[in-house]
Amino acid sequence: MSLQYHLQVAPGDVAPLVLLPGDPGRVEVIASLWEEARHVASRREYVTFTGMYRGVPISCTSTGIGSPSTAIALEELARVGATTFVRIGTCGSLQDRVRVGDVAIFDSAIRADGASALYAPAEYPAVAHHEVVDAAIEAASALGTPHHVGTTFSTDLFYVPEPGSAFGGYEQSAWRERYADVARTGALAAEMETGVLLVLARIWGLRAGAVALVADVAEERDETGAFDPQATFDVSAEPIERLARLGCETVRILAERDRVRSTD
Amino acid sequence: MTLQYHLKLSPGDVAPYVLLPGDPGRVPLVASLWEESHEVASNREYTTFTGTYRGVPISCTSTGIGCPSTAIALEELARVGATTFVRIGTCGTFQDRVHPGDMAIFDSAARYDGASRLYAPVEFPAVADHDVVEASIAAGRELGFPVHVGTTRTADAFYAMHPRPGSSFGDYWQSWWRGHFEDLKRMNVVAAEMEASVILVLARIWGLRAGGVAVVLDNVLDVSGESGEFDPNEQLVHGGDEIERLARFGSETVRILAERDAAA
Repeated sequence: MSLQYHLQVAPGDVAPLVLLPGDPGRVEVIASLWEEARHVASRREYVTFTGMYRGVPISCTSTGIGSPSTAIALEELARVGATTFVRIGTCGSLQDRVRVGDVAIFDSAIRADGASALYAPAEYPAVAHHEVVDAAIEAASALGTPHHVGTTFSTDLFYVPEPGSAFGGYEQSAWRERYADVARTGALAAEMETGVLLVLARIWGLRAGAVALVADVAEERDETGAFDPQATFDVSAEPIERLARLGCETVRILAERDRVRSTD
Repeated sequence: MTLQYHLKLSPGDVAPYVLLPGDPGRVPLVASLWEESHEVASNREYTTFTGTYRGVPISCTSTGIGCPSTAIALEELARVGATTFVRIGTCGTFQDRVHPGDMAIFDSAARYDGASRLYAPVEFPAVADHDVVEASIAAGRELGFPVHVGTTRTADAFYAMHPRPGSSFGDYWQSWWRGHFEDLKRMNVVAAEMEASVILVLARIWGLRAGGVAVVLDNVLDVSGESGEFDPNEQLVHGGDEIERLARFGSETVRILAERDAAA
């Protein structure tokens, strides 16, 4: 297996530790924090940079939106030697205490996606590797970022399932309490890629985790249910740079702990 | 809410940290490792002891076999003030790298049970609390146990789901059982037991903490051999000191957690 069909990466092109944003436009922003970075490939929604962050070899590949394109990215990254995945993305909060600008560290996910169910039945847990969770907690603490550790709701739908969110007012009766029920389980936030990431890494015996910047609060939408992400999402440059820094620091801490362990 | 209907416990009867074996007969054995202990209650399959282990207040309550009785134990323990649950039990393994006598630390569970689904949909992750996982790893290291951190398969059936007829009475069998154990092995599932999923799901939705450790008794793929016959009396080896090592593992996990909680 050499050049990968979608990502256009080959063995040697990526570091063992890979950051995974959704947006291909953010890859270059993330790589700008590294002391050394080169563009490896761009194809469809997949952009890959590889370089060095504080002495640690690191890569960043965008996954595109949703679990199907993310599963493809993971399959191809694993084939060329990636072993540890840290998703860095944005999310919407489901809890009052989780505020815009805070960071959520996901130790697990509710699997409301399609792709992960094709790999493992729904009973199987989407769970992060404890070393990634621990490194993310340490990185967030060191950076002074308010953070929360918990479960995310990983869904294949952005504009539903909330009455008023889908085009033309389309809705289903089962949606009415959907987010309220999810919030009652204590889930911190909703986003669209973590579930499949955690399931695939676990199946393959690789490591994965996810950190996300809270960009909006689902509960603060008005009673009509009208949803205008353009107006409500805060994805300005400063918080995104903080998120990128948190991802890079998580990778650095992981790599240093790996090094200490291997020399024990 | 005072005296609990099944467990016969009242507020003040249990410590915040509770060990959860399945077998009521093991509770006095676990408590015998503590410097101080007394029996609080015994009703049905629920026996509770409370005491002090290396200066830390601790309780131990048996859950009975399976998720329905375990859900009842958790509901009633939480009502009288328990906040952290550590399951201690026995398990089988699906992995060749895991050997009888090794210890498994559960960071998550595959939810092949009924009770947990009545609380949260099957897509919701059965995930252990990060603090409990880290404390278990530290306890295992300190005690010099070979440990494996990973996912357990929690199921409501003991005699069913083997790959060949012979495990269930009268050679009853279902075709989907044929590949079930091999599929779990491929999904990197470490262990098989009958209570962890509902403990992890309920603790997570209540915002409480839970985890689990187990001593490995057998490789379920080896035990479910060519003949299909399954005789747990012959094939599951309960040697001399496994249960005592397990009790020590659970008690040390609680001590480390309590010390870290006090320092935080």
